[in-house]
Amino acid sequence: MSKRAVDAVFQALFILSDLRFLLRETAPQHDFDEAQKKRAATSLEKVKRQIAIIEEELVQ
Amino acid sequence: MKCAVDIEARDVEEMYINIDPIQAGGRLTADAMKAAISFGDGYSVCDNCRNPPRLDYIQKPPIAQFHADLATWLNMDTARVVPGARRGFQAVASTYVEKGDPVIVTSLAHYTEFMAIEAAGGIPREIPKDAKNHITPDAAAEKIEAVIREFSRTPPLLFVDHVDYQFGNVHDVAGIAKVAHQYDIPVLVNGAYTVGIMPVDGKALGADFVVGSGHKSMAAPAPSGVLATTKEHAGRVFRTTQAKGDVTGRTFGLKEIEMMGCTLMGVTVVGMMASFPRVRERVQHWETEVAHSQAVVDALLSIEGTKVLSDYPRQHSLTRIDTRESFDTVAQRHKKRGFFLSSDLKKRGITGVIPGSTKVWKFNTFGLTDKQIRHVGESFIEVARENGLNIV
Repeated sequence: MSKRAVDAVFQALFILSDLRFLLRETAPQHDFDEAQKKRAATSLEKVKRQIAIIEEELVQ
Repeated sequence: MKCAVDIEARDVEEMYINIDPIQAGGRLTADAMKAAISFGDGYSVCDNCRNPPRLDYIQKPPIAQFHADLATWLNMDTARVVPGARRGFQAVASTYVEKGDPVIVTSLAHYTEFMAIEAAGGIPREIPKDAKNHITPDAAAEKIEAVIREFSRTPPLLFVDHVDYQFGNVHDVAGIAKVAHQYDIPVLVNGAYTVGIMPVDGKALGADFVVGSGHKSMAAPAPSGVLATTKEHAGRVFRTTQAKGDVTGRTFGLKEIEMMGCTLMGVTVVGMMASFPRVRERVQHWETEVAHSQAVVDALLSIEGTKVLSDYPRQHSLTRIDTRESFDTVAQRHKKRGFFLSSDLKKRGITGVIPGSTKVWKFNTFGLTDKQIRHVGESFIEVARENGLNIV
């Protein structure tokens, strides 16, 4: 059982949900202001970290 | 892009500004979307269901606390989650209405109120609206008197919509409830367009029952809703089963008959719960929502020939507009006929106006950002200008 991998999958989905809502808030142009760009960049970094954990736990 | 075999993924809210009249208040929060990911499985909230085995007693996730919080928030005594406002209507009608009873509704009532009354064997009688599309306490009193004369008995229940679905007008519920109570008629307030988007105080309204819709106004998955009531009525509408199996001798403890035991057992209730902190907070910003609604209505009214059929100035984010003398004149000569309006709006990233509608139609601006509101208003004007209508 890899609780760490399961948590990472959920965390990644949750972070992507935040990104999804950023798309909703900025529809239809998705023209991000500086704060929104920063939020997106932070979210993407967090997702990458979770994906790295998933790879480490399940693939490598 | 498909999310499953033969099912297209829905990206309407990500790709467009959606002003659909019934969808605005039910858009999930990010937290509700995360809860949906986590609690999508059928009976997922039942992992920690203990004794008594009933939804509103579950501590983890904190469903019991959520029920208490809902009642407090609505300034009522007791609340239950239900599968949509309509099931709240049904539970109350089933409890109070006997076959052949007259039941008072309004001429702006939602059809599901009629269904609930019909299912209970009741006979609906409508309070007429006035020239301004309002239901008044005087009209309610006249109708109650007329119904008593017609049926030689007092109606057991009166339904009134806090804000009606046809015009988005706010009605004098407190005044109507005061009249109904003079005849000892309990009042059910349909808050499908208010609970979760604007402040609602059940006691101040004089409500015996407040019904809200999770998927219409509480940023929750469908079907979900809330039925809240007072101490006086809770024992009756939430009565527990007395049934006993004649062969097995089984009884069913504290299961509530009108709730059919338990109601929302997964993503619906957890979605409501996840959105609740945001919902509780957002109703405090109702004035901003009304100002947004007003801004779009004013943009539309700047198009010569357009009329607003709802109250003006606006008091709600749902609006009924009459464009028979503006956009519909374009439709008469446009190659796309009435479809030009939804098509031109879609090109600008706006959806939710029924394709083909250019006569009388509704829209809802709830939940949009300042920037999105400006875009909607400007887009209506651009479409009008490009199609030869005058801007005044």
